[in-house]
Amino acid sequence: MPEVQTASRGTEARQRTGASKQDGGHWIARLIVIGAAIITIVPLIWMIFISLQKPRVIISMGWGAEFAVDNFAEIFDPRAVFGGQVINSILLVISATAITLVISALAGYSLSQLQWSNRVVVTVLSVSALLQVIPPMTLVPGLYATLTNYGLVNSLTGLILLNTVFNLPFATIMTKFYFDTIPGELRESAAIDGASEFGAFRTVMLPLAAPGIAAVAIFTAIQVWNEFLFGLVFTTGGSQAPITVGIAALIQPQEIKFGAMAAVGVVTAVPIILLAIVANRQIVAGLTGGAVKG
Amino acid sequence: MSTTARAGATSGGRDVDRPHEQRMHRRKQIHWFKYLSVLPLLIFFLVLVAFPVGQLVWMAFGRVRLVAGNFLWRPVGFDNFTEMMSDRVFGISLWNSAVFITSTVVLTLVLGVLLALATERLIRGQQLAQNVIIWPAIIAPVVISVIWLLILSPQIGLLNRILISFGINPQAWLGDNFGAMASVIVVDVWHWTPIVFLFVYTALRGLDPEVLEAASVDGASYMQRVRFVVLPLLAPAILGAAAIRIIMGVKVFDEMYLLTFGGPGTATTVISIYLRSVFFDAFEYGYGAALSVTVVLLVLLVLILVFVSRSLIRRLSRA
Repeated sequence: MPEVQTASRGTEARQRTGASKQDGGHWIARLIVIGAAIITIVPLIWMIFISLQKPRVIISMGWGAEFAVDNFAEIFDPRAVFGGQVINSILLVISATAITLVISALAGYSLSQLQWSNRVVVTVLSVSALLQVIPPMTLVPGLYATLTNYGLVNSLTGLILLNTVFNLPFATIMTKFYFDTIPGELRESAAIDGASEFGAFRTVMLPLAAPGIAAVAIFTAIQVWNEFLFGLVFTTGGSQAPITVGIAALIQPQEIKFGAMAAVGVVTAVPIILLAIVANRQIVAGLTGGAVKG
Repeated sequence: MSTTARAGATSGGRDVDRPHEQRMHRRKQIHWFKYLSVLPLLIFFLVLVAFPVGQLVWMAFGRVRLVAGNFLWRPVGFDNFTEMMSDRVFGISLWNSAVFITSTVVLTLVLGVLLALATERLIRGQQLAQNVIIWPAIIAPVVISVIWLLILSPQIGLLNRILISFGINPQAWLGDNFGAMASVIVVDVWHWTPIVFLFVYTALRGLDPEVLEAASVDGASYMQRVRFVVLPLLAPAILGAAAIRIIMGVKVFDEMYLLTFGGPGTATTVISIYLRSVFFDAFEYGYGAALSVTVVLLVLLVLILVFVSRSLIRRLSRA
């Protein structure tokens, strides 16, 4: 009897709405999904194709092709700013993600496990949720004044702090909910075994939350890598700017440098897509913000 | 601190006191770690949220100039807010945001639900399909703009190449008012349908198979099952996705900034685009702050309305 149940569960898991091979709707479903996949992939391939073409092919409006790496050579020329901007983006991702993780793990754990009153927990979560809802552009005037006070306009440090604070709400909420799934008795028994409160957190609870924190880490890293608004308004767009702002510099109303633009686009998008293929589960968990179990 | 515990354990004579001693010891530990663990979050929120919000409100009631890195503030009372009433472009930007949000939310919801249902019906390749479909949602908005400029550009775009191949006149796309708004809507739908898909698809996979099985035993067709069983069960997930999409619509900036820069004219000037230009092109810091405060209050008002109407509906349906 148990085997029968597992078997039926297995097939059900694949088709909850109950499709079968004889079902007439099946090929329509396949058509829709294949269509969606094509619509997703073709624009990406077109960008990669353009990035590998010589300028005269790009402006020709025909269907010719002349493969060359000129555009990549141009953007990674030592005299160009893009190399430095890629490094800025990498530093930004590493620092902002690391700080976000440390702060949100501590706060999420504290709110979930250390017997805060309900009112405190609800207040922190509400403020966090509110920060997610407000358009970042509305806070720019205030942030600009604040960063000016500390002399952090046009600096990587300023961008690291801003990216951290705007990723903290989501990271804290998600980490808190993940810690909620871990039984508090584990912490208590660690304490009885002589571990300090911090020791119980570091050696027992934190490792148990690793899958949740990994999802938060990957999601935060992607958000920081993709961030544009703060980079745009808080740097002058030169050697202090992240790569996303570097792209914007190639798109001017008077002239768009299509080849270089496509090449920077490829450099910015490909690492993320590779990540999506390898770490799909964590990304899905981050995007749906839901329960990551195991 | 573990050294004290070990010391207690080795001094055999005082074994009786151990539990009590440790309880004391733990309570003391909780004391500082409990507060220390939320302190960094608190500091970040105070310095980089509360303080800037305070600055924002303060600026909103003044005429503010930036002189040699210092903000000079002169009080003007509610002048900035009354000025807003006669600001035609602010009204236009609110309207454009409303048009943009309504169209993109409806389109992404319909397409996302359709795609989730279709993917779930596949016999093979569900995992692969899910993996590919979510790509646009994680690519930088800036790159999304690059991708679509390469498609929509009148000079070199893919779309006009295709039109020319079929002997049709090339179009301006982003160049005229209607085309520009339609284009940014299409781009946004391409960008964010995946997130709706993912929400609904995840919920779909979490449905109780027995309910669905019962429906199919009753002889309901696929369409009937979807209409009367699946969609009602998915309603919470779809509403959740709608809420997130609306918030994203209010925030939208990156794509517009690069694809159309709010133009032609003010055809695609949404809230965030207008705020940026007031602040960084016109250097009207005080007025920009007043606009920001108004937008934040509008967002809060809408949120409160949604919450109130939701609890009203719940109470009515219970009565």
